[in-house]
Amino acid sequence: MRTHSAIITASIVIAGAIWVGTVGAAVRAIRRFEATPGRAAAAPKSWPSDSTLLRNHDAPTMVMLVHPQCSCTRASLAELQAVIEKSPRTLRTYVVVYRPHQAKAGWEKTDVYDAATRLRGTHVIVDEDGREAKRFGTFTSGQTFLYDAAGTLRFEGGITMLRGHAGLNSGRADVIHLANGEGGKGTHPVFGCSIVSRGEKR
Amino acid sequence: MSDMIDARAAELHKEQSAIRRAKVDKMFAALLIVQWIAAIIGAIVVSPYAWEGKEHVLHMHVWVAILGGAGITILPVMLAFLRPGTTLTRHVIAASQMLSSALLIHLTGGRIETHFHVFGSLAFLAFYLDWQVIITATVVVAADHFLRGIYWPESVYGVSNPEWWRFLEHAGWVAFEDVCLIWSCIFGQREMAAAAMRQASIEHLSEQEQLKSAALEMAMAEMSATA
Repeated sequence: MRTHSAIITASIVIAGAIWVGTVGAAVRAIRRFEATPGRAAAAPKSWPSDSTLLRNHDAPTMVMLVHPQCSCTRASLAELQAVIEKSPRTLRTYVVVYRPHQAKAGWEKTDVYDAATRLRGTHVIVDEDGREAKRFGTFTSGQTFLYDAAGTLRFEGGITMLRGHAGLNSGRADVIHLANGEGGKGTHPVFGCSIVSRGEKR
Repeated sequence: MSDMIDARAAELHKEQSAIRRAKVDKMFAALLIVQWIAAIIGAIVVSPYAWEGKEHVLHMHVWVAILGGAGITILPVMLAFLRPGTTLTRHVIAASQMLSSALLIHLTGGRIETHFHVFGSLAFLAFYLDWQVIITATVVVAADHFLRGIYWPESVYGVSNPEWWRFLEHAGWVAFEDVCLIWSCIFGQREMAAAAMRQASIEHLSEQEQLKSAALEMAMAEMSATA
């Protein structure tokens, strides 16, 4: 009887330790996952001449490259909407949707794709095997570029504060300032899934 | 005589509270398991995978829902079955229920609608008719909102730049509910105590009647023996 009670008490103590440990470990794991930026782009300083996207010659052009299956990118698109709403209507915006070679039909038609098609005045382009992503030196979903009317790179980076979390942040604020012809920092960490498969060379 | 009735009423009240609280413990054990499963399903539906090009791995949120949810659920469920009705069990359950709220709020990206889980949980905890349990739950949810609000506001409010008073706004709504729930716990306990007192009085009267009947039967038996 006494042994039985001791076993129960020991089990409860072990479960208590797991309970306390789990909370700390879960917070740490999520924090690390969400606060670790993806690989920054190696973007050309001038609009890539081999790009199939048409640059705006009278106003800035914004390009966001996304992985359609990346759930974190929903936040990037929510931020992109905020940027578009606070930028001049002359801003031309592209959302370039990655689609791997030989993916099944409709692979890229996700809620991320649908959200992109609902953005005001935005051109949604399916990027077969990430060719445009390579031209823009992009590795991470949510990577955003702003080129001015002369085709000079003014901003490269992400427009969310963390992975999968929308809300005002310096990346989004800088793009809005730059799109409106004001000053702003030209870089910001990007948070999202990788557009490049493991072991794939760029 | 009155002391005997009071003592019996207190005994009945304690016994009935323990039965009620053990039942509520079991209800919460089931609820915590259901919430754990719901968190896993939610994570799988909302963000199943993290991608690297055309390859994918299970998303961190799914792991956190499985392992974090298990960690939160194991202790209270064990206590509910191994130590039902004890003070420790219901306070651990209260804290775990609030941690489940925190997990769900995080998994939904701080979605404001998920905060309804906190309010529903507080109402369920009032089934214990123990106002101290409400305080434990409130301390856990307040600490979670306060600390995450400082270090990680996106995960609790859904935005990275909440107003400085946002924590107080959430706390105010919780306090509003707490006042009503604590009052209902105290009132409920008084009603249970009154019911126990009525039962103790009835038991006492019944015993008195039985004693009288026994004495009467004995007297009649003696009379018929002498006749």
